[in-house]
Amino acid sequence: MNKIYLESVSLSFGHRELFKNLTLEFPAGKTFGVVGANGSGKSTLLKLAAKILKPDAGEVKFHGAKTVAAVTPELKIYDTLTAAENLNFFAQLRGKAVDVSEIGRRVGLDFETELRAGDFSTGMRQRLKFAILLGVDADIWILDEPTSNLDGTGREIFLREIRGGARGGKIILLATNDAADLEVCDEVIELPAGGGDF
Amino acid sequence: MKLSSFLQAAAIFRKDFLVGLRRRAAFAAMAMFALTTIASLSLALGGAFVEPKLLAALLWVVIFFAASAGISGTFEDEAAAGTLSTLKLYAARQAILFGKMFFTLASLGALTIFLLPVFLILFDAEIARLGIFSATVLLGLVGISAAGTLTAALTVSASAKGGLFPILLFPVTLPIFLPAISLTEAAFTGAEFSAEFLAAMIFYDAILVTAASILFDFLD
Repeated sequence: MNKIYLESVSLSFGHRELFKNLTLEFPAGKTFGVVGANGSGKSTLLKLAAKILKPDAGEVKFHGAKTVAAVTPELKIYDTLTAAENLNFFAQLRGKAVDVSEIGRRVGLDFETELRAGDFSTGMRQRLKFAILLGVDADIWILDEPTSNLDGTGREIFLREIRGGARGGKIILLATNDAADLEVCDEVIELPAGGGDF
Repeated sequence: MKLSSFLQAAAIFRKDFLVGLRRRAAFAAMAMFALTTIASLSLALGGAFVEPKLLAALLWVVIFFAASAGISGTFEDEAAAGTLSTLKLYAARQAILFGKMFFTLASLGALTIFLLPVFLILFDAEIARLGIFSATVLLGLVGISAAGTLTAALTVSASAKGGLFPILLFPVTLPIFLPAISLTEAAFTGAEFSAEFLAAMIFYDAILVTAASILFDFLD
């Protein structure tokens, strides 16, 4: 079974010890919610699990799972490209052929538009990021505040696709400050304020 | 490079080409620098005869500084837009390097094709040996592209990247210019050229591309 395994992971920023000997397992087919106060390390835990960030000690291992896709505030899309060009570009990077109109229908975004992503509203950009995540069809989904800036319909679409992703065998990590997002989570990890042992 | 990385590099090249066409800023900066330099030098010389060796050196000075004006943005623009992290998540390191390197080479090639007729007309020069001239320019541009792409990646997180980029690029590319100037002079005059210089350029280009490929994996 595909899974992510964090083994005795420690990470500090300067003198601040965020994680100490942290051991966690994230098996496929489940959605894990990560909650905690601002600065507790929610986004950092997701980056460690996705191997975007390296721990000071310990190891992060992917068993079976190979590819990562993410919707996070830091990861931007190309403002000078249209929605379809953005989606096709990232899908090509992963060697996937995408049905642009089918993904557009799923996330509620018009991919026929000639508008460039730079002219999109924040909510439309968020939908486009999610469309890219669906298009690249990765084994691991990293979702950091994915429903922020979304309207009610957008939020429903996200939560529906997250449920579908888990059913499809994805490993899904979802960091959120919104308790309503946790309804799609199978397990919730609560990080203590200020980091350290947990 | 694996086939998947090659396809990724091709996708990055196409994306950079599309973004470059729409923004045009980098190419405009390179072209304007080259045109201003050529026009200023031509006006200052007032139609006087210029020694072929000096003419060859002038051509490479123009290419080097025009390249410096454009290549530094290869990674800087992506980092400023926040897309570099996204690119690193979805593409292999080597694909990013070679996609950007091929795009830089294509941009410099287009720049050279654009500025060369202007250069030849304003300095009343002609190319007697087109084959050796084309080979020299191609090898020179490959070296500048390899060194420039790696240097752009190195300086992307530096606070004074604008000043640091040409300072780091110049010593790395200097071994290209010495044989390139000599071969370009031979191409202008039609004199015999040194095959050793051509071999040296090929050898140094190979070193630069290999070094860039190895070192790029160690950059964050």
